[in-house]
Amino acid sequence: MPSRFRRVLSSSVGTKLLMGLTGAALFVYMLLHLAGNALILAGEDVFNEYSHMLISNPLILPIELGLLAVFLLHVYKAVTMWMSNRAARPVGYLKKELAGHTSRKSLSSSTMIGSGLFILGFVVIHVKQFKFGTFYQVTDSTVRDLYQTEIEVFQNPFWVTVYVLATLLVGLHLRHGFASAFQSLGLDHPLYTRRLTALGVLFALLIGVGLAVIPVWVYFRY
Amino acid sequence: MRIFLKVWRQATPRDRGGFVDYTAENISPDMSFLEMLDVVNESLIVKGQDPIAFDSDCREGICGTCGFLVGGVPHGPDPGTSVCQLHMRRFKDDDRLVLEPWRARAFPVLKDLVVDRSAFDRIIQAGGYTSVNVGGAQDANLILVAKTASDKAMDSAACIGCGACVAACKNASAALFTSAKVAHLAFLPQGQPERATRVVAMVERHDAEGFGSCSNEGECEAVCPKEIPITNIAHMNREYLRAMLVTRD
Ligand code: SF4
Ligand code: FES
Repeated sequence: MPSRFRRVLSSSVGTKLLMGLTGAALFVYMLLHLAGNALILAGEDVFNEYSHMLISNPLILPIELGLLAVFLLHVYKAVTMWMSNRAARPVGYLKKELAGHTSRKSLSSSTMIGSGLFILGFVVIHVKQFKFGTFYQVTDSTVRDLYQTEIEVFQNPFWVTVYVLATLLVGLHLRHGFASAFQSLGLDHPLYTRRLTALGVLFALLIGVGLAVIPVWVYFRY
Repeated sequence: MRIFLKVWRQATPRDRGGFVDYTAENISPDMSFLEMLDVVNESLIVKGQDPIAFDSDCREGICGTCGFLVGGVPHGPDPGTSVCQLHMRRFKDDDRLVLEPWRARAFPVLKDLVVDRSAFDRIIQAGGYTSVNVGGAQDANLILVAKTASDKAMDSAACIGCGACVAACKNASAALFTSAKVAHLAFLPQGQPERATRVVAMVERHDAEGFGSCSNEGECEAVCPKEIPITNIAHMNREYLRAMLVTRD
């Protein structure tokens, strides 16, 4: 008998539980990330203060490592799952229609692997550009001027386009992912299950469009 | 009525197979889909050709033997209907329909539209039963079952094991079938003793048979002739989580 741990990692249902759990964690992170980044609209000082508060906190490293682990687990499980799911149907159909009726299949649900892989690539660039990007200092202090870095990146219409695309894809990913995580985790009740899809759309718009606004705002402001 | 058919023909499991066009003529709108195929087959037999193989038994939508894709949808376009209960009045004269077998690694094609669904039997064998010897029939009121629980168990037990859920799923997952069987017993007192080992063993067998995992799209639910909802899958995942986290054996 394989151990419980191995079982959860490898079985189809265990995989879904992990996807749901890591997905939910990443969703919460995205909400915080949006809230934090929205501070850029409040101006240079507020934003730099906020980012300084984050990086000067000794807990930030363990939290970042945890986030990285959750992210990598989500990606790893998604890719292996996608491959075994493809292997489950070696011969396809000549004609396959949407089932309609009660099906929740959507553009979002059919493109999870694509939107996910794009976001993966984007995250690498994004972290490199900001966390490990040009280090400016606020005059007469040790505080990092992240605001300056942001203006620098979003001066370039190419990066603005990439960022808008990526954040909208995050929204598309969440459109299915939000409700799907509940279902995978077995959180299902007549009280809320029917509302989850609508709530997913709402969060998708909030996070997707909310984040997309930032590069556009910076671009037109400077 | 006249219907143009494009049917998957495959003589043996190892044969490459391919689509062949047929014209079904003199079809009454009151015929069931399978009766229409019977008419086609009779004309093939008269011509000395091999009739189109398809599965069926009860032809009244209760046994789960029949099933193939009609125009890209498992069991055809009507909700909550197996292909034996689909009627020709649903279609228009001169419609063109593609008929294909269920496609899944775990459901190899045996002949034409017939696939081997014994993978489902092996999932049941892995744990979809109770092994408690209950002796002679006891008084019906000795073990009380709440009406809501028995209703839900019955809803899940309505699954006829046709395999349409697997056919509809982009991942060829049998999560809906497996979950219906897991949930059906999990609701009832008789299912309690083996509740945890059952779900773990059945999921393990499901995976070993080569079915994929669930993407929560609900295409299965939409084609299921018994309209088994994917709440069963959430239930199965919950049972699995419980088995992993709190069960001690
Ligand atoms: S869940 Fe529905 S579609 Fe799947 S095997 Fe059972 S009856 Fe058929
Ligand atoms: S032949 Fe029994 S359900 Fe269709």
